[in-house]
Amino acid sequence: MYLFEYSELIKNLVASDLKVKYQSSVLGFAWSMLNPLLMMLVLYAVFNNIFRFEQEHFALYLLIGIIAWRFLANGTMAAMSSIVGKPSLVTKIFIPREVLTFSMAMSAFISSILEFAVLIPLLLILGVSLSFTILLFPVIHILFFVMVYGLSLVLASLYVYYRDLNQIWDILLQVGFYLAPIIYPLSLVPEKYMFYYMLNPITRLMVMYRDILLYSTIPSALDFLIVVVCGLLFLIIGTMIFRKLSPGFAEEV
Amino acid sequence: MFKLNPKTDIDNESEYMIEVSNVSKRFKIPHEKRTTVYDNIIGKITGSSYSYEVFEALRDVSFKIKKGETFGIIGENGSGKSTLLKILAGVLVPDSGNVKVKGKVAPFLELGVGFQPELTAVENVYLYGAIMGMNRKEMDDNLDSIFKFAELERFRDAKLKNFSSGMYMRLAFATAISTDPDVLLIDEVLAVGDEAFQKKCHDKMDEYRQNGKTIVFVSHAAESVTKLCKMSILLHNGGIVSLGLTEKIIADYHYQMLEKGRDI
Repeated sequence: MYLFEYSELIKNLVASDLKVKYQSSVLGFAWSMLNPLLMMLVLYAVFNNIFRFEQEHFALYLLIGIIAWRFLANGTMAAMSSIVGKPSLVTKIFIPREVLTFSMAMSAFISSILEFAVLIPLLLILGVSLSFTILLFPVIHILFFVMVYGLSLVLASLYVYYRDLNQIWDILLQVGFYLAPIIYPLSLVPEKYMFYYMLNPITRLMVMYRDILLYSTIPSALDFLIVVVCGLLFLIIGTMIFRKLSPGFAEEV
Repeated sequence: MFKLNPKTDIDNESEYMIEVSNVSKRFKIPHEKRTTVYDNIIGKITGSSYSYEVFEALRDVSFKIKKGETFGIIGENGSGKSTLLKILAGVLVPDSGNVKVKGKVAPFLELGVGFQPELTAVENVYLYGAIMGMNRKEMDDNLDSIFKFAELERFRDAKLKNFSSGMYMRLAFATAISTDPDVLLIDEVLAVGDEAFQKKCHDKMDEYRQNGKTIVFVSHAAESVTKLCKMSILLHNGGIVSLGLTEKIIADYHYQMLEKGRDI
């Protein structure tokens, strides 16, 4: 497998990407944490005072949703440019191109873990007691990674040929943000749409993260099933598209 | 144009490091490039036909390179030299034909591939080393000698963006040559830097040659090819015009340039 063969290179690419990301501003990592925190505060102020959602621990509910969503949005956006954004690594040397996309997705994955790590003390401060269900976090987060990586393979390879794909994906992400229960409670979704709504793997993931972190419950088997099936589907389709298009990358980048 | 039998006076028993057989490569150059979803939709609606020129970069190229040989690829601009080198490096995929390259390959198509200006010299050396296929331990062992060769010991922790272009090239070259490859693919990257740096590069190439490394060297400068390479091929419009000892090939090359000059 190329991922093992090139693990040294992947380590280096991920490390340098993280260093550049967090070094370039004075506050470094703090900024990437301030962003979701401030967003949570604004949304909390709006929804708690104007709409008055009845949701237990609504501030944390929001924050978990936002941090989880940031992995999808930032991860796919960064990994999308993994081929187009590094032309010399594509045209001047041969590296299996999946390594480049994988490294960017992995970098976003690690950033996301750091953001979740900051969440833990906030949970304790705001009076949520952690339970053993938090042990499921790595499993769920890795499943999410598989999904993000699969999507990234599709996006990165198509972006080489369609250079306005980043604009299109940006809009789709904005739509997706409201199609999953990130900033509103699940109970708000009308009953007649509920079946279709729950088919969205992102919805399932949001429910799962909150189950294990906030409500100390084990996610249902159906949640896992949908996320695993979708993740594998994305990964397989993404790999197929990427392998089909990658021989032409050096001519188009 | 006449074709040559790729067989040379080299005995067939020796081990070939590189075998290129009947390689062709075409590039499509569209009249109106469609690079966005928008362009494609508009193209579909208006029904304008998608037309392109076909540029034949390489036509039916075949040759073999023995282990320990230094091999020159000569030709004017646009003759397909760089395309051929990129195919040897595995960056481009030929439309037809086969390429076999044995052993560990170090492509010097560009020096400092993947360098990050925001990172320090040491961090970049590790990154570039990993890109060139070295592992952590090899890098740890080589780190001091890399900085010594580049004469940049004092700037280990300086950010690369503060380096002059000369320092940048020295660091990149020193890192690239610390790999221990079997096959080196060299584009005209050595034509940069001041004379002292050039000399260092040539000395290093000589050292590689004496150590029995296989070197493929691409250039349109006849002089540097003569110095380095025993065997060469001359490319013209993507095809091999002649193949053989470098002196003879250079003579052909000069004759070809002369002919071209007469046409004008």
